[in-house]
Formats: sequence, structure tokens, C-alpha cells
Amino acid sequence: MGERGSALALMPAAVLVFVVLGAIAVDFAVAFLAEREVSNAAAAAANDAAGAALDQERFYADGAIRLDPASARSIGRASVAAAGLDHLDDLDVRVSVRGDVPEVTVTVSARAGYVFSKALPGGPDGVDVEASATATAEEDD
Amino acid sequence: MRPSDETGAVGGVEVLPFGFLVFVAGTLLLANAWGAVEGKVAASAAAREAARAYVESSGPADVALADARAAAAAAIEGHGRDPARMVLRPVGPLSFERCARVTFEVTYGVATVEVPWIGAFGDGFVATSARHSEVVDPYRSGVPLDPAGAGVQCDG
Repeated sequence: MGERGSALALMPAAVLVFVVLGAIAVDFAVAFLAEREVSNAAAAAANDAAGAALDQERFYADGAIRLDPASARSIGRASVAAAGLDHLDDLDVRVSVRGDVPEVTVTVSARAGYVFSKALPGGPDGVDVEASATATAEEDD
Repeated sequence: MRPSDETGAVGGVEVLPFGFLVFVAGTLLLANAWGAVEGKVAASAAAREAARAYVESSGPADVALADARAAAAAAIEGHGRDPARMVLRPVGPLSFERCARVTFEVTYGVATVEVPWIGAFGDGFVATSARHSEVVDPYRSGVPLDPAGAGVQCDG
């Protein structure tokens, strides 16, 4: 008996491979989307903190523009909390303020769940994403 | 290569329909998932543009809200989506005052296709949503202060 035609049996397997590759592409897109979301949240939080956390006592004392660390942390965390990232797991927000310049850095990290990969045997259930944004307060000319 | 006839060609033909179904169902499933991801990207951009347009508007409040709606619609359109299927709504109080936190949520309905064996997702539509939040600059001009007397000391 010849072997012609036996390749037909491989057709479903080949198609399945393409579907799995497509599923991996979707999961990468989900991970990229989560990365974008935490990046946007970090940028908005840094922008809010730099704009609204001016240390007014210091400013009225010597005219220096500096940020109040406690206020910056409060505003930064409130901004991320309002960003609607509830669908991400292990959300963590870190806000750091430099003392020598009016600069605030917000780092947001989280874990994004995959859609398809967790259905594969041994596949990962998610990916850790992290983004940082820095903003500086400046006096308008 | 040795010459051969078509012996064995029948063996395996019966799996072709299965392969076809896997191809169709798999492709539709991926297309639906990809559509939802794209809808989420568009909604995210629209929410961001709406919040940004609101806090940077010259005011007053109703004009700022109109600016936000226009910016969100433009963002959705820029992603090749239909603005008529977008719903923009403020989350929490919407106040056009310095230090006020403004949060917008955009919900966009993504059309889906019924998948063999699996069925339809959400009656043919999947709602994707995204939020964005910004604070009205406490030191900007042309915007009133909080009448309660909080000054420009923002508390987040």
C-alpha cells in the first residue's frame, strides 16, 4: 500500500497549530494592552502629582518649586485607583519624589491574565507588566 | 522518487471536515478575541482623550463636557470605529473646578460572530470599556476655585 494521501490526516493538526499560534498572538496583544494601560495610568498619575502636589509652604517661604512627598503619594495613588485597573491582579503603585528638583516618578506594576494560553497544558496563566512615568513641575513663563 | 498511484488517498479524507471546522471555529474565535482587544484599545484612547480635553478646556463646564465628547468621538473614529456605538460617561461627580478629579469611562460595543460549537458572545455584541482620570490643574487660569474654600490644596 502506498503512502499517498496520508498527508491529509495531518491537515487538522496543521490547522490546530495555526489556531494555537493565533491564540498566542491574541494573548501577546492582551499583555501589550495591559502594558499600555499601566503606562497610561502611571503617566496620568505622575502628571497629576506634579501639577497638584506643590509644596506651598516652601514656595511661599523661598519661592522654590518643590513637591510635597505625602501629597504626591496621595494624589498619585488616587489617580491610579481611578484609572479602572480592577481587572488586573496584584496592582502595586510606587510614588517617589526627588528632594532636589520638583520631579515625581510613578511606577505601576500588575499581573495581566492571559485568555488562551492558560488553556494549554503547562501554559502560563498571565504576565507581569510594569511601567514608570516621570513628570516635572515647572513654572510657566 | 518512485512512481506511485493514488492508493491511500481515501485514508484521511474523513478528517478533512474536522480540520475545516477547526479552521473556521478557530479563526472566528480568534477574530472575536482580536476585535475585543481592538475595541478595548479604542475605548482606552477615547477615555484618555476625553479626560484630557475636559481638564484642558477653556470652560465653562458644559463646554468642557462637549469638548470631552468631541475628543472621545474623534479618538474612536481615528481607530476606525463607529462613534455611534460609543457611550461616554463621567464616573463620580463631574466638576469643572481646580483640583477636581475628573474620571471618564468609555464603553464600546464590539460586534462578534457566532462560533460553531461555542455559540455567540453576548448576543452578538461584547462591551469593552476603559477609564481615565485626571485632575484639573490647580494653578490654571480661567477656572473657578472650589467654593467650599479648599483653595488650591489638592488632596488627590
